[in-house]
Amino acid sequence: MNHYLRFVLHKLIEGIPLILGVTLVSFVLMVYFGPDLTYELLGKNPSESDIIEVRQMLGYDQPFWWRYLAYLQELLTFDFGLSMVKDQPVADMLSRAIPVSLALMLPGFVLGNLLAVMLAMAAARHRGAWQDRAIMSGAVLGMSISFLVIIIAFQVIFASSYGLNWFPVRGWQVQDAQGQFNTMAYLNHVTVPTLATVFVSLGYNTRFYRAVLVEELHKDHITTATAYGHKPVTIMYKYMLKNALIPIITRVMFSIPMIVISGSLLIESYFGIPGIGLITYEAIMAGDQPVLKAVVGLTAVLFVVVLMVAEILYQLADPRINGGSGT
Amino acid sequence: MLSKLLWPVLFLGMLAGCQQQDNSLGETTSSIIDGRKIYRHSEDGKPTSLDPIKASTVYSNMMAVNIFDTLYAYKYLQRPYELKPNLAADFPQVSDDGLVYTIQLKPGNSFTDHPAFKDGIGRNVTASDFVYSILRSFDPLNGGTGAWLWQGKIVGIDEWKTNGANYDQPPSGLLAVDDLTIRITLTQPYPQLVYTLAMGFSGITPREVVETLGQEFGSRPIGSGPFVLDSFDADVAYLSKNPGYRQETLDIYAEGYLPERHAGLGLESLHGKTPPFIDQLEVHFIKENASRWNSFTKGNEIQYTTVPKDKQNTVLVSADPITLHPLIEDNYHSSYGMEAGFVYHGFNMLDPVFGQTGDPQHDARSKALRCAIRKAHNWDQKNRAFYFGLGSVFPGIIPPSVPEFNAELSMESVSLDIPGALDLLAEHNWNDQNLPDFEYHVTGSVLQKQFFEQMRGFLNKINYPTNKIKYQPYPSFGNFNKAVKNRQAPFFFMAWTLDYPDAENTLQLFYGPNQTPGSNNFNYQNPEFDQLYEASSVMLPSPERTALYQQMNQMVIDDCVVISGLSRKKINLWHKNVITYPDREIVGGYHLKYVDVK
Repeated sequence: MNHYLRFVLHKLIEGIPLILGVTLVSFVLMVYFGPDLTYELLGKNPSESDIIEVRQMLGYDQPFWWRYLAYLQELLTFDFGLSMVKDQPVADMLSRAIPVSLALMLPGFVLGNLLAVMLAMAAARHRGAWQDRAIMSGAVLGMSISFLVIIIAFQVIFASSYGLNWFPVRGWQVQDAQGQFNTMAYLNHVTVPTLATVFVSLGYNTRFYRAVLVEELHKDHITTATAYGHKPVTIMYKYMLKNALIPIITRVMFSIPMIVISGSLLIESYFGIPGIGLITYEAIMAGDQPVLKAVVGLTAVLFVVVLMVAEILYQLADPRINGGSGT
Repeated sequence: MLSKLLWPVLFLGMLAGCQQQDNSLGETTSSIIDGRKIYRHSEDGKPTSLDPIKASTVYSNMMAVNIFDTLYAYKYLQRPYELKPNLAADFPQVSDDGLVYTIQLKPGNSFTDHPAFKDGIGRNVTASDFVYSILRSFDPLNGGTGAWLWQGKIVGIDEWKTNGANYDQPPSGLLAVDDLTIRITLTQPYPQLVYTLAMGFSGITPREVVETLGQEFGSRPIGSGPFVLDSFDADVAYLSKNPGYRQETLDIYAEGYLPERHAGLGLESLHGKTPPFIDQLEVHFIKENASRWNSFTKGNEIQYTTVPKDKQNTVLVSADPITLHPLIEDNYHSSYGMEAGFVYHGFNMLDPVFGQTGDPQHDARSKALRCAIRKAHNWDQKNRAFYFGLGSVFPGIIPPSVPEFNAELSMESVSLDIPGALDLLAEHNWNDQNLPDFEYHVTGSVLQKQFFEQMRGFLNKINYPTNKIKYQPYPSFGNFNKAVKNRQAPFFFMAWTLDYPDAENTLQLFYGPNQTPGSNNFNYQNPEFDQLYEASSVMLPSPERTALYQQMNQMVIDDCVVISGLSRKKINLWHKNVITYPDREIVGGYHLKYVDVK
């Protein structure tokens, strides 16, 4: 059997206990510690029998294990039924929201990581010099300011009538009158959220990547390359960055499920963007179990996939890693 | 280095330059785009389901009455609120004994198109649709929240539910006599019935569509109201004008237009025209105050907002009388109105410490404790701290928004009286050693914590030990409501939104048989009160009925069941290119069909 196929199958089988564990723990939390939707859905003058009816309708009267097995079946079939609160199929809600969150977060994610690697390389290269201090000061600044403050400030500066008034405050109208995707409209709506995301993520990412790269600087192969008289750029890209790829891949890959499933609640709330972050938050607050079950389940599955892809990338980045396949 | 920084700024500038936006500071742009009139409304909360049988919040109700037809509606501009026929041809014919209501529908109204209809074309709305729509609230499979309005009041409706909820066999008290005639037979006179037929809960739904969509009907509603839902997500609902909506011209004078109140808003231009006037309605659900305000002041986004709490300093010059900042006056139209409801603190009268046990000595002491706490409560300070001094403090449980409100009633129960409270405690041997733990139960939030801190300060003034005053937050309203309904909250903070402009709607909160899990969260049991309530509940509005209401109000005040109350005031702002008179209180969302833009 092909090495990678065998590896994928192996990882998928390994992922099953992880999925079961995550779903079980989260389901226990949902059932025993989550909001009780019964008392949200009651009318203004309910009777005891009304309470029983609502509990039956929500399935709260079913035994725990029966409900958990039903959840696993839903996860297998990817059919999570209808939202208890919104009267919409969960699959529809997610299929509409996930692409929006991806389109919203991806530019910030990519730019945030690329710029951070570039800044980290510059800082590492000029370690201890004013460039390093300036970059790190900027990073600390980005990390220190609350994301909420940054969102509000950027909205005021770039979008509101009190500031530059260049971009929309809210909305996600990225299609033209014919329903076709409009690139300019997309850029118009995504720019300020992206700037805010980059501003915040840059700080954390730059510090992390700088630390990784500085550690590489002390390695013998870099000293050797320097002794051989390689150009600094060659050392930086060919020897240092390539060897630092493992932690960089780890950080990047494990951020992906957060973008796909969690989105960004604050960005979506303040910019009026109907993404998955907002849906998840509202489901948590309302105790909308079908939506929560779907989000938790998909996150667990995605983590398994990401784990698998990350390990494949590790092997590509460093052929010494064989993924434990014994080959 | 400088050139490196310049490029991103230039890029942003070019990108912004590509947009066709008005960059002037807060200047409004035309709301007519490609000949289509678009109005962008905003609300500070979100609806959940759009199914009218679940329209229990102001947000859901607002959406419901714009997508569905109701038999009655409130006059657009008339205050105090006054009903008018909507889909009904006239007011009901009521039998002499007040038990049988006969209602005629206007002919020729149809549902909007849907594949579930024959040939996909919306059919006429009939009396059977109304019957079906009311019965849906009683179907245990539907999770409706409005059945309490008619429970036990329409002949046979409760039995219909227990007998299996067969829609083909409606109860004898709710019948479609013919396509356009409805007959409702009551178990006892119910003067508030017509009010309930103006609520979103009574929105008329087509059976074939509901049965086709099942529970999904709540997100893909089809009705016969002034607007048709195009799309709906967590942030915004897009609706289009219903092209088949009945052609009725607007008579602003019949709707309650008064020059001294409404002049200058452009409403006169709507007279004689046929609503809805706009082609597209957008309702933006924005809980975040900063974002809503930025969007509103931008000029080309949302066109209406209530003034967020943290912007009242920006908007108001003075609270009494309300004076707006000249910049606001110059740029926007405004109105302010009192909420149809109030906030209050309540005691659980079945609590063994704060409530009544039947032991005269205990009951006298617990009443003294409740009354002392009420005397320590400083409504004026609460009003200033949290409502910018805009709220109206009133005694008892009949708020200023109902016609039965008594402006002459003594304000003693809402006046700060620390010496009186201390005397009362001393008289009944309460001291810092034997005062019981005071638990403050609420849905947890920063604001509620601030309310608690203030309450603790009030209690400290009557020597209530700080360590005995405890904050009991719940993670959601559901959990809080569960504690209240299960009688686990000796003291709680709540708000009540009136369903209709009749004090019966608040008095029923103290009616003994309505004790928890019913609406009587106080578990107040007073046979005399119950007797008066039962007598008044079958009476038509009259001075005699108002007198009974006042007696009941006084009983609740005298028994110190509740620390009440304060009706909040909202300031509405809207762009000057919008012609409207917004009011989301009892009128609900009915005003949206009269909005015009220029």
